[in-house]
Parts: sequence; C-alpha cells; structure tokens
Amino acid sequence: MERTGYDSSPGGLDAVFAALADPTRRAILARLAEGEASVNELAAPFAMSQPAVSKHLKVLERAGLIERDIDRQRRPARLKGEPMAAAVRWLEEFRQFWAASVDELDALLGALKRSEHARRRK
Amino acid sequence: MSGKPVYVLERSFDAPRELVWRTWTEPALLARWYGPNVATIVHRLEVKPGGLWLNEMRMGEKSSYQRTEYLEVVEPKLLVCLMSNADADWNVAPNPMMPDWPRTLLTTVRFDEAGGRTAMRLTWEPHLPSEAEIACFAGAIENMGKGWGAGMDLLAELLAELRA
Repeated sequence: MERTGYDSSPGGLDAVFAALADPTRRAILARLAEGEASVNELAAPFAMSQPAVSKHLKVLERAGLIERDIDRQRRPARLKGEPMAAAVRWLEEFRQFWAASVDELDALLGALKRSEHARRRK
Repeated sequence: MSGKPVYVLERSFDAPRELVWRTWTEPALLARWYGPNVATIVHRLEVKPGGLWLNEMRMGEKSSYQRTEYLEVVEPKLLVCLMSNADADWNVAPNPMMPDWPRTLLTTVRFDEAGGRTAMRLTWEPHLPSEAEIACFAGAIENMGKGWGAGMDLLAELLAELRA
C-alpha cells in the first residue's frame, strides 16, 4: 500500500529515533543507502548471525525506515526515506519557526527602544 | 516514562519587561514578529482569561490558522494559553502536515526582568493529548533537547546520502 505524508503507525517519531539509537542499525542504514541488500549480505560485514540481523531489520521496518520484499526469495531490504524525512522536516519547522520569530522579536524590541529614546530626546 | 514531555525555549532581550509585554499583547506589534517571512494577520487579540487570539499566516495562496485561548494573564510577567491549529472557521483541527502533532499545546510564557534585561521562558506541553500525540511530541523534543546532537546529524547525513 502506498503511504502518503506522515504516518504515525508504525513509523512514529519515537519509533524512528529508537531505531536510530543503535549503531548497528545505523550501519545497516548506511549500507542500505548504497542499495538494497539481503539478510545474508547485511550480516557479512557485521560478524553477526542472520537472526540478529533480522531482528534489527524488524525494528527498522517497524519504524518505517526500510521496507522488504515479501514475494522474492531473498527478501532484500531497502531504505525508505519518507518517514525519516517527514520527521526531520517537522522538527526543523517547529524549531525554526520559533527561533526565527524570537529573532524578529529581538530586532523589534531594539527598534522600539531606539524610537522611544528618540522621542524622549525631542 | 518520565512524565509529560515539555519543550522549553529561553531567550534574553535587551529591553525592559513592559516593552516585551507590549510585543505579545498589542496586535500591531505581535504581527510584526510572530511568523517570520510570512504575512501575519491578527484577526482577534483579547489578552484576558477566556479571550482569543485568532491568527492567520499567509504564505502565497495558502493560509494557516491558529487559535489561541488565554487561560491566565498576569501583566507584565505571565501568559498561559492553549495554542491550537485551526481550520479557516477557527475550529481546532489536527495539523495537516503531522496528524499526530498535539492539537493543542498548553503554552506558558514567563517574563523576568533583571538589570534592564528581560528573560523570556516559553514552555509547550501537549494539552489533553492522545497516546499518539504524546509519542509524537516526546520524540520531537527528545531530539530538540539534545541540541540537535548526534541523532539529527545522523539523520541529516543519511538524508544527504539518500539524495546523492
């Protein structure tokens, strides 16, 4: 099924950040950024068992960071950028909105002070 | 879980508290700083308990609407209000971009004056949130609280790789 925009379940922000908290999972994501890979191919550089890698993939899948083919035999995993990108965009937006507003407020207060001083000097 | 998630923003201004208060309570001044780089239209501003601030931000053809209800007003040091996303009829509505973002944030703005400067402290916490709203907001501020540290850097790197 096609997912559009932000979807809280299963790829909510908390799941995304929990998934990213683990260095092995970050390494798996970095590897998948180069292209899709099977569990076998992912297990090789990490000196890990296939079940261990499968577990990590499940966490990443639940967070909406990767997707896996159901039909094909080797079930390659690939990165799914959208939920992560949505999380980043939104965090960025809220923070920047207020940071920039408060910068404007700072500038406005400066201007108000100057105009009041000017008025008093007249 | 460590209680309710709260997001805090602090800023100090080289201005007396009365002046800072005016920038939050006079429509013409509020519109000048709130909502950078967009046309901010203050449709209503009644800074008193139960009063409403109805705010429109116009970005080209599109507008976003915010409905704020004041709960507590102590001039010139405290504003407590419920800030919500709204539809064009000023009904509280979910955020179109992020349905799980808390519909209503209990917002507290505190102004403290010392030596001619004013320290402003803003806090936001979800108001009567659903579980999903708590999870969304907590996930967000967890990362803000870390000062956009390792997690965000990593996300940015990964996204850069994805785009490459």
